[in-house]
Amino acid sequence: MENGKIILEAKNLEAWFGDFHAVKGISVPYYEKTINAIIGPSGCGKSTYLRCLNRIHEEIEGASVSGEVLLEGKNIYDRNIDVVDVRRQIGMVFQKPNPFPSMSIMDNVTIGLKLQGVSKKSKLFDAAEHCLRKAALWDEVKDKLDNLGTSLSGGQQQRLCIARALAVNPPVLLMDEPTSALDPIATAKIEELMNELKRDYTVIIVTHNMQQAARISDYTSFFIYGNLIEHGLSSEVFTNPKDKQTEDYISGRFG
Amino acid sequence: MKYKYYRKFKNFIFALLVVFSALSVIIPLFMILKFVFTQGMNSLSLDFFTKLPKPVGETGGGMKHAILGTIYIVLLGAAMAIPIGVSCGIYLSEFRKSKLAKTLRLCVDLMAGIPSIVIGIFTYLMIVVPLKSFSALAGGIALGIIMLPIIIKTSEEILKLVPAHIREAGLALGLPRWKVILFIILKGEISNLLTGIILSISRASGETAPLLFTAFGNMYLSYELKEPMASLPVQIYTYAISPFKDWQQQAWAGAFVLVTIILTMNLFARFVLSRLNDKKGN
Repeated sequence: MENGKIILEAKNLEAWFGDFHAVKGISVPYYEKTINAIIGPSGCGKSTYLRCLNRIHEEIEGASVSGEVLLEGKNIYDRNIDVVDVRRQIGMVFQKPNPFPSMSIMDNVTIGLKLQGVSKKSKLFDAAEHCLRKAALWDEVKDKLDNLGTSLSGGQQQRLCIARALAVNPPVLLMDEPTSALDPIATAKIEELMNELKRDYTVIIVTHNMQQAARISDYTSFFIYGNLIEHGLSSEVFTNPKDKQTEDYISGRFG
Repeated sequence: MKYKYYRKFKNFIFALLVVFSALSVIIPLFMILKFVFTQGMNSLSLDFFTKLPKPVGETGGGMKHAILGTIYIVLLGAAMAIPIGVSCGIYLSEFRKSKLAKTLRLCVDLMAGIPSIVIGIFTYLMIVVPLKSFSALAGGIALGIIMLPIIIKTSEEILKLVPAHIREAGLALGLPRWKVILFIILKGEISNLLTGIILSISRASGETAPLLFTAFGNMYLSYELKEPMASLPVQIYTYAISPFKDWQQQAWAGAFVLVTIILTMNLFARFVLSRLNDKKGN
């Protein structure tokens, strides 16, 4: 697995909120078609780091970034790179399910394509079916595609958001604690789904749930206070951590 | 025990005061409505909607020109105020802390406090004097200026309430910011925005003062942008202060029609549009 192609790589990435140094010099490679978990105590900069990877971090006022993020070798923070293109390549699923209000299930999935100029009905429908199937939601919603996205249950809404992100076909998918607002059954469904997604996508997921990280990920990074303490194969990080702090955290002694 | 009764007594007095305040708002409103309705109904007939005024001394006639004129001038004002107002609302909610936004916000608050007669005089000097004629255009502009701060304020408030993660979800799809604002955020709030807009229109349709110096009034039906045009409030004003009994009666009928139009708009915004909002909520 070490020999896979590196699709995304953070190099000495730093991030701030005003004066607050939230992410401190992180360098991690991400291999194609793997699931990469980021764990660590609350407020340790996991989400901020993740949000730097698709340049959503800079949407917050006073936020700043330095360092590089290489997407297939090209730095996404380069001056001549269009941020819109970056985000098309690197999709994102958020902590809280956030389907667009007053938009149908169908529109929620296809809005990305529609606003990129795809207008052919059959093409949009096919894309919607494809993505909803990939997000394991198709069978539950195929008879009510015109209902509002917000009328679904929390777990379904989160899968709808995954389908929405998949619709623009990004090779990399960032997930910011996608199951923290969901019950165990919905969580299990999404974890199952992530194993499927691994076939076509590279997934980077922030999670509070260590069991989840151990269950689903190929690689795990452990963060404390904006520092990367340890990064490696999940099987090793969880069974044989190299760092004392990692060991303390995963054995539940702090955090 | 003693304190318990004392406490209950205080509670009762307070409840009484609050209920009394509530009634003191509701009762006058219904008295106004009842007054306008009973007086207006007496002189209301089909002719009122379909005929133009008759010369003094002849009975009959109606206010067709003023009803149509009001609609014309109000729509003219709305057509100018809605695009500018909603755009300003977007600006204020998207760039909350920029210097221009802070200045604009202050200006909007000040603008909302300017007496409508002053807006009328201002429009008179800016539009009527250079064009050398009272005109529907000037009336529309004056009403537009009155609608603007209301539309800006309500659209800013509405768009501010859209959670940041909705905007981020749109941006994360790789969509340019303007598309996210127009097709996701604005589209999601369209019924709320319409409510705000309709309320501002209904507020402006009752304004008399800004029209006195601008659209002026007209006894004939006119669709000319650059000519004086009749409107219900001004027509009511002219007829009500006239010495003729049947003109005064017609003024009541005009008041009745105007109040009905405004009430209908308000109730529509409140019940029909807000029901749409509730539906999308769950």
